[in-house]
Amino acid sequence: MLKELKAVSKELLKTKRVDVILAYKRASDGVSAAPCFIFEEKDIDGIILDSYCVYNLSNYIKDFHDKKIGIVAKACDIKSIIVLLQENQLKREDVVIIGVECHGVIDEKRLCLSERSVQDIGFNEKCRSCKSSLPAFCDYLLKEEEDRRVTPKTEEGDEYASIRKLEAKSPAERLKFWEEEFSRCIRCYACRQVCPLCYCPKCVADQTDPAWFSKASNLKGGMSWNVVRAIHLAGRCIGCGECERACPVGIPLMELNKKIEKDVKELFGYEAGANAEQKPLFTCFDKKDPEDFIK
Amino acid sequence: MIDHRPQTIDHRPQAADEKWEPKIVAFLCNWCSYAGADLAGTSRTEYPANVTIIRVPCSGRMNPLFVLKCLMGGADGVLISGCHAGDCHYSEGNFYARRRFAVLKSFLGYLGIDARRFQMSWVSASEGDKWAKLIYELVEEIKKAGPNELGKD
Repeated sequence: MLKELKAVSKELLKTKRVDVILAYKRASDGVSAAPCFIFEEKDIDGIILDSYCVYNLSNYIKDFHDKKIGIVAKACDIKSIIVLLQENQLKREDVVIIGVECHGVIDEKRLCLSERSVQDIGFNEKCRSCKSSLPAFCDYLLKEEEDRRVTPKTEEGDEYASIRKLEAKSPAERLKFWEEEFSRCIRCYACRQVCPLCYCPKCVADQTDPAWFSKASNLKGGMSWNVVRAIHLAGRCIGCGECERACPVGIPLMELNKKIEKDVKELFGYEAGANAEQKPLFTCFDKKDPEDFIK
Repeated sequence: MIDHRPQTIDHRPQAADEKWEPKIVAFLCNWCSYAGADLAGTSRTEYPANVTIIRVPCSGRMNPLFVLKCLMGGADGVLISGCHAGDCHYSEGNFYARRRFAVLKSFLGYLGIDARRFQMSWVSASEGDKWAKLIYELVEEIKKAGPNELGKD
């Protein structure tokens, strides 16, 4: 698959179909992957493609908005490209999606913390509930030669198992849980920087006229920031998990985002990044939307 | 000049012997709910004075950020009230609001925030009585929920 990827990438640059290729290279630790931006054919030989390629490269689309982009994308990454297309952040003809089949990517933090082997639990949480390892919406589709999948899939069906567990607790328990998590937030905004869908030129957190919420790195500020960001991603978050992976203090951000993802699916039958013709969630409504919460 | 800095004034009773009265912020759509509340007023209907009303053109103008700013600023309860489904002065504004706030309501509950603190209602311009009754019940519920400790410095 890597050979094919290099060939396709070189061709795209050579014919000037794209100005830049967003791909993965080996990081300086010699083990993990890092994103790279390649402008010339000769630099393509340094790219890699393996289970360490966990980054969602569509995060960088916003940095190349005036260029034609070729992007190496796993099935989950492509969903964020689709949302960007839905929201007119990108023209379809300005991006060439090189879809790569993926049998699971490694979450390095989980790998370090565990005594078990990579094959047991090293794979990223999101990979357990992956519905399809084969990208559907792409310009090129590169398949794996053999099935490398070792991650057992989640108990059939429930990708929201952990959400349901939290929902089953009492409100007081939940508040205590979330207050403990949010009090650690240091407002580094790594979650925002790594999210493909956080592209606002002026983030709500940085607005001063009016100032919507505290900028302090305490419970009040941490709660405000994380709640607002989750709400702003409602119907848009595609669950790449990069925010949780980037968080330096280990806040379980996917437990927030997936809750809204679950609600949006159950309340409105809506899934983010399903297809490029779909309208963004809050730009449409159904006459039969639930209103049992309205007096 | 308007001071847009985040509110540092804590509206919660400071003195130990000060009796707590809930402070509720209500966002009312201009055409239905605000008129309905006004009707309650002109009819001289008595109802609790705990509500501060903010008039918006339509419930569809409502931003979940407003609700959050109120709750983190010390409001004990927040209410959004608009036209009944199908009766929006701007045809569809309340449909958008319905979708947006269904998500917010569920999410706030998931965070462990008391479900009584954020509520939504449809009150038409002729429903002065419904408005008064709504506020009576809302204030009772918020009294039971107690003072809002969220975002306390």
